[in-house]
Formats: sequence, C-alpha cells, structure tokens
Amino acid sequence: MQVLNWFFRPKQGDARNKAKDRMRLMLIHDRLELPPDRLASLEEELIAVVSRYFEIDRQTTRFDLQQYDRRAALIANFPLLRSKS
Amino acid sequence: MSGRVIVITSGKGGVGKTTASANIGTALAASGASVALVDMDIGLRNLDILMGLENRVVYNLVDVIEEKCKLRQALVKDKRLPNLNLLPAAQTRDKSAVNPEQMEKLCAELKQLFDYVILDSPAGIEGGFQSAIAGAEEAIVVTTPEMSAVRDADRVIGLLEAKKDAISQYRLVVNRIRPSMVATNDMMSVEDVLEILSVKLLGVVPEDEDIIVSTNKGEPIAGSENTRAGQAYRNIASRLRGDDVPFLDLSPVNDTWFNKIVKIFTPVRA
Repeated sequence: MQVLNWFFRPKQGDARNKAKDRMRLMLIHDRLELPPDRLASLEEELIAVVSRYFEIDRQTTRFDLQQYDRRAALIANFPLLRSKS
Repeated sequence: MSGRVIVITSGKGGVGKTTASANIGTALAASGASVALVDMDIGLRNLDILMGLENRVVYNLVDVIEEKCKLRQALVKDKRLPNLNLLPAAQTRDKSAVNPEQMEKLCAELKQLFDYVILDSPAGIEGGFQSAIAGAEEAIVVTTPEMSAVRDADRVIGLLEAKKDAISQYRLVVNRIRPSMVATNDMMSVEDVLEILSVKLLGVVPEDEDIIVSTNKGEPIAGSENTRAGQAYRNIASRLRGDDVPFLDLSPVNDTWFNKIVKIFTPVRA
C-alpha cells in the first residue's frame, strides 16, 4: 500500500502560489506604470531622509507595495532605535 | 424595444472569446430572447465557423457600414434558432474598415431590433478593440487561469474602467479551468484570479474536449445537454438575464477515470 501511495501521489507543486505572487507584483507595477527599479530608489531616498533624524533598525525595515481592490498602497515600516542629536 | 449591447473581450488571443460569444448568444436565444451576434474580428473571421454558418455568409459588417447592403440583408439566421442572427466580419478587409463612431451608430440600430447584441471583439487593445467597445454598454472579460491571459485581462479592465460612463458594468468569465491541476496546486484557481483582478465573476467554464467536437460540427456546445461546458454557458446566459444561478461545482472528483483511480489510492487532503 505504501508503494502504491507513493506511486499515485499527486504532484505537490507550488506553481499555483508562485504564479499568484508573481502576478500580484507584476500587476501592481503594470497599473502604476512603475519601472522595476523605481521602488528601490524611493526606498533608498526615504531611508536617507529618515536617517538624518533617527537611527533606523535596518534589519527589520519593511518596504513594499500591497494591493487593495484595484489600487496599490505603499507600506513602509522603519523601526527607530534612537533620535539623532 | 431597446436591447442590451454586450462586448466580449480579453486582450489576449486564443482564450476563448469567439467560443464564449457563440455559446452565450446561443444560450440566450434558446431561452427565447432575440440575439444578434456581431463578429468584430475583421480580416480574421471565425464566428461563422463556430456557428456552422460559413456557407451562408453573403454580406458582412463592412458592407453594412459602407451601405453596400441593408442591415437585414447581411444578417445570417441560425440553423436551429430563428431568433439568433449573425452579422459576419469581412474576411478580405482590415480593422481600419470600421471606426468607433460607425459602430456606435450600428449598435444603436441593432439594439432597436434585438434583445441582446453580442459583440465578439478581436484580440489586442488597438483599433479593432476600440471599435468593438465603442457601442457597448456592458462587457464580459474572458480569461484563462494563465499568467499572460490574466495580465492582458487586467489591462483590458483598466481600459474599460476608463470608459465607465459608457460601459456600466464588466464581469469576468474564467475559461478552461482544470480542477485536477488546481487541486494539486499546479494551476491558479478561479478564486486566485478573482482576488488578483478584483472583479465580479460572471461564470466559470471547465476545460472540455467536447468544445473541440462542437466547433468541428459547427454546433455551439450550449445547445447540447450533457456537457459541463455547455451547462456553464447556459448558466452564464441565465446570470446575464438576471437569474441567481450557483456556480458549477468543479471539484476534480468526476474529472477523468484515471483521476478516479488515483483518488482511491491517495490519502484525503484538506
């Protein structure tokens, strides 16, 4: 029975979720007409600005786009360690 | 009488626009409504083949637009349903033979004569598509659960949204779903596609080999009782008419005999 189970086991692919994740990111960029490198340069600039006032925990910084209905939202989270004098 | 003008579109080619047009038109006509099917794919005429009417085409859409014949002369009556009519595309012309203003005028005329005017849009988002949506008041976006088709559907939805004042609603048909591949996480599900596109669902059509048979016979599958795809299209027509019809259960159980055997040997998974 074990052998049969192994033999007839359905493929446990993750192609479905991979497609979903790729689609989400792609459509957010499509809808905003956003070039692929633009988000990275925005993140860099924002971090530079915030860094003038605070020390940021770069390990836990979060910066990405999320979909709400047919709109996108920019989610940025810069955990602050201490203010700069 | 003032009928409804509905465009069937997709962006990407080969996802089943023409098949959907033929079947939705057939199902609406079978339920008693008068229907005009308009093939907007000028230069690449196909809707006549799916309807089995290719030998009866005399005049076409461009002849009507250019006033070489009367609208009534160009309409080809269906073999089985006398209230179903096809306005064929021209085969030897190109998309520039018709412009959006001319289509608006033609659609206004057609909806005086029919309950439903179904416009089968060409693929793409250029001139031919623009003419196809010009006279429409509603849209049906057809996609398959493939990334390229979903991306193109999203583009089309964006363009339809920009015409919100003219096109009051658009809904999605997800075509060629393979339940067994969804179950094994090898393919996006209908829910996945809906979530990504954030759009209302009009219908789900399973992959069905009988579609190929019906195309070869020139008899739309919506007319045959015992097929899942045919039932799916009849349900779509009912929803268009305003009925609340539950979506087909596309669980992979009765998929193929091979899968049935596989299922016996496979532990049940959530």
